[in-house]
Amino acid sequence: MDRRAIFFFGAAAVCLALVPVAGGYAWVASTVAGVYVLLGIASWLDARSHRRL
Amino acid sequence: MELSVIFVIAVALGFDFVNGFHDAANSIATVVSTRVLSPRIAVMWAAFFNFAAFLVFGDAVAATIANDVVTQQVLSIGVVFAGLVGAIVWDLITFWFGLPTSSSHALVGGMAGAAVAKAGVDVLIAEGLRKIGIFIVLSPLVGLAMGLLITIGIFWVFHRTRNTDRLNRGFRLGQLVSAAAFSLGHGANDAQKTMGIILALLIASGHAAPDAATPLWVVLSAHTAIGLGTLTGGWRIVKTMGSKITRLQPVGGVAAESGAALTLFATSAAGIPVSTTHTITGAIVGVGAARRLSAVRWGVAGRVVWAWILTIPGAFAISWLSFRLVDVLS
Repeated sequence: MDRRAIFFFGAAAVCLALVPVAGGYAWVASTVAGVYVLLGIASWLDARSHRRL
Repeated sequence: MELSVIFVIAVALGFDFVNGFHDAANSIATVVSTRVLSPRIAVMWAAFFNFAAFLVFGDAVAATIANDVVTQQVLSIGVVFAGLVGAIVWDLITFWFGLPTSSSHALVGGMAGAAVAKAGVDVLIAEGLRKIGIFIVLSPLVGLAMGLLITIGIFWVFHRTRNTDRLNRGFRLGQLVSAAAFSLGHGANDAQKTMGIILALLIASGHAAPDAATPLWVVLSAHTAIGLGTLTGGWRIVKTMGSKITRLQPVGGVAAESGAALTLFATSAAGIPVSTTHTITGAIVGVGAARRLSAVRWGVAGRVVWAWILTIPGAFAISWLSFRLVDVLS
């Protein structure tokens, strides 16, 4: 799997792990996690399309 | 005002001065490396915007440092002094070992350590420390995402442009704006930490009411100290930093500084003390990651993680010892 996608999914996991303890800032952690999930998916699709070329 | 209070205020402003001296490189290294400005002019540019930050941002970060780390009842001149000593000693130790430490986290750890040494763990304010702790991790990750998304956005907008020389010239000028924005964010978040320490000291010594706003002379002196620090010493560090970051093109500089500046603006407005160094490091990693992961210096990113883990406990321990020492000597 694309290393960059793994990094982004890892960052998303770190942000998600913060959600239960973030109190009033849980929405920030969730939003940033969502952004990293999207970046991970985009990066994975990008790497896959490059491999097919 | 007592001599001891004046002395501790001077130490706090000295801490702020060194912060400006040391962190100037973060604001303008890319402007210098791409030869948009000479080191001296770049430092003056950053210093001006460090100072001007007081006109734009309030004192929410200062209020967090003064009111949300430890209970006001435990604050005393000795606690504030020992907290500052812990932060300064920790910064010197990590500077010696080359760890990209955060002065902000050192201050928080220092205040907490000195307060616990005086009255035990009950004086810590869990909600405030939780907010600060969450953003120790989140601020570099937000900076990284912002740097990456802005880079992608720029590439997307300009991907049809054929005249790359003209485009590069445009981004070289754009760096003036992005470096100014980052310096503004740096001045806002970092000078406010010193304002918070001085406000805590004024409350502890009875020179300000517990719910008082930060006095104007504190605001001006903190921003002057950080601006002077940037102005007097920063260019020496910038010369080295600027020559090391050769792979960052003007477009990357604009993206990294803009991403970090937006993160600092948002956290400053929300009253959250964050590390400006970690935020810009995250944003630069984001710009590198927009190309490929191997473009990122992971050694730097790894050292940031170590700084996350060690700073608060390290400064806490030194301040704890400092307070005990001050207590025994007095």
